[in-house]
Amino acid sequence: MPTEREFQVAPIVPESVMHNTKVLSNLQSLTASIFGVAAGILGLESYSGFLFYFIFTVLTTILFYTFRVAPTSLKSGLGPLDTSRYFRTQYEFWAGGVMGGMAGYILTWTLFYGLVRA
Amino acid sequence: MTWFSKSTTTFGFLLLAHACYSAYEHSALQSHRAASLSSLSATTQQAAASSSLPLDISLETIVATIIITLGLVLNTQKLRPIQWRVWAGHIERAGEEGARNSSGEVDKDYVGNPFKLLESRPGFVDIRKQRKEFAEWVKQQ
Repeated sequence: MPTEREFQVAPIVPESVMHNTKVLSNLQSLTASIFGVAAGILGLESYSGFLFYFIFTVLTTILFYTFRVAPTSLKSGLGPLDTSRYFRTQYEFWAGGVMGGMAGYILTWTLFYGLVRA
Repeated sequence: MTWFSKSTTTFGFLLLAHACYSAYEHSALQSHRAASLSSLSATTQQAAASSSLPLDISLETIVATIIITLGLVLNTQKLRPIQWRVWAGHIERAGEEGARNSSGEVDKDYVGNPFKLLESRPGFVDIRKQRKEFAEWVKQQ
């Protein structure tokens, strides 16, 4: 975690932080409802459904890293899987969207489970 | 790039809709067969029939999900560097061109150079000279 002194030395842009967080959380909530549709079609129940959600959320984040973060981040000299060019903490990027999309996931999961198995 | 991501997403949604309809038809058929079988004989053949989805529908659903995810990820806006020195250099070099989204318009929340106010400052005004000029102009009227 950076200290106050480091923020003074290398200040950050709040607008860019908000923009990046918004882009990521929009993507997470949108894909979460798609995953709910898929889980409902597959007829997953209880733990396997949540496992499905976690696997696909991690897959989304990896895809997002590959296509949006990695090209410029690696060019600027940061190591692989280092998101400090666009996000303040690693945790915010890799785990921030897991809980945000859960509600939408369960909504569409139960809806499509009920629709398909009428 | 935008046509690629949009067509990928559309294709994925088509696959997902097809998988959904197939799964619905499969479950309807299974429940119908189970009902007719149980009316014919009292054996418990209907167990586990409606719970297992055919492999091709499962595969189609998973592939469609991955394709949609890929399309949505490619459709996201560009990220912006959060460190001031990186972001300021980006603005200086690219200007408005750097903030264009995939359809060629400048993003709505694009701020631009925050020091524009300081960089373009009007020079000093010689107010005495202007006052003298104005007085002469008034005399001429």
